[in-house]
Amino acid sequence: MAPEINIRRASLDDVSFLVDTIMEAEKSGTGILTYTTIFGLSEDDARKYIKDMLLEEVDGCELSVSSFLLAEIDGQAAAAVGAWIEGYEGIPSAVLKGNLLNYTLPKSCIEKAVSLNNLVKDLHIEYIDKTIQIGLVYVSEKFRGLGLANLLIEEQLKQLLQMEPGITESYVQVFGNNKAAIKSYEKSHFIRQLERISTNAAILNYFPFNSKVLMRRIL
Amino acid sequence: MERDLLKEKLTEIFRRVFNDDRLEVNDRLTANDVSNWDSLSHMILIGEVEKSLGITFKLKELNKMKNVGDMMDIILTKL
Repeated sequence: MAPEINIRRASLDDVSFLVDTIMEAEKSGTGILTYTTIFGLSEDDARKYIKDMLLEEVDGCELSVSSFLLAEIDGQAAAAVGAWIEGYEGIPSAVLKGNLLNYTLPKSCIEKAVSLNNLVKDLHIEYIDKTIQIGLVYVSEKFRGLGLANLLIEEQLKQLLQMEPGITESYVQVFGNNKAAIKSYEKSHFIRQLERISTNAAILNYFPFNSKVLMRRIL
Repeated sequence: MERDLLKEKLTEIFRRVFNDDRLEVNDRLTANDVSNWDSLSHMILIGEVEKSLGITFKLKELNKMKNVGDMMDIILTKL
């Protein structure tokens, strides 16, 4: 019998699963978590600060509880997808996330990040204003193969388009090593637009891979 | 501190953080106007502004800033 899937907007009660979502999605199938490499945090500390940032309840960025839809199977959180309308309230999501990072992380993290600012720019791809951004995507290992990520993406697009019917494009950024994710987004009608590649060998000390792929879906 | 002097100080900080000696800071400047204004550089920018001016922003204040003019308005209430 097919499992019963319940899709709902995340709430503060889901923060623990959302922290897992953020950490696992950021790792992109590798052991490298940018929160630890760029900010010099332990994984436990990264977990604590990500939780603190989610609990601030800032809307409109990848660290917003309200950005996430959750899929539950038999009452158990199985998958989550974050998505938002870029610049919906007039402030770019990168600014909102940067505000949270500045406010929450110890000042020593900022000092460490300063020296890496130029390196990080190699993989930076701008978010386009008034488009739907698919952010972090995660499916628990035991619930993979059920199409949950695509189900959640479709629901996100539907709900966000209801908020802002004039939007015509959705984007997702994915590390170039994550072939499974790229294939899955292609199934969801996203098409590869560009790939940003860093030639700096040091990038692999800080990021899961040395390239990032931008994919677009026309709505 | 006068607004013009604050603008000069911010220009210095912005140029350093965004590694652009020709960056012109004005009231209407937003993150969308500067290439590479990502979450990390924004975090660094706010940290540098706080350190240089000896102030601390509340998260609510930060999230109200839609452009540099808003940032200057808030900073001037703290100096």
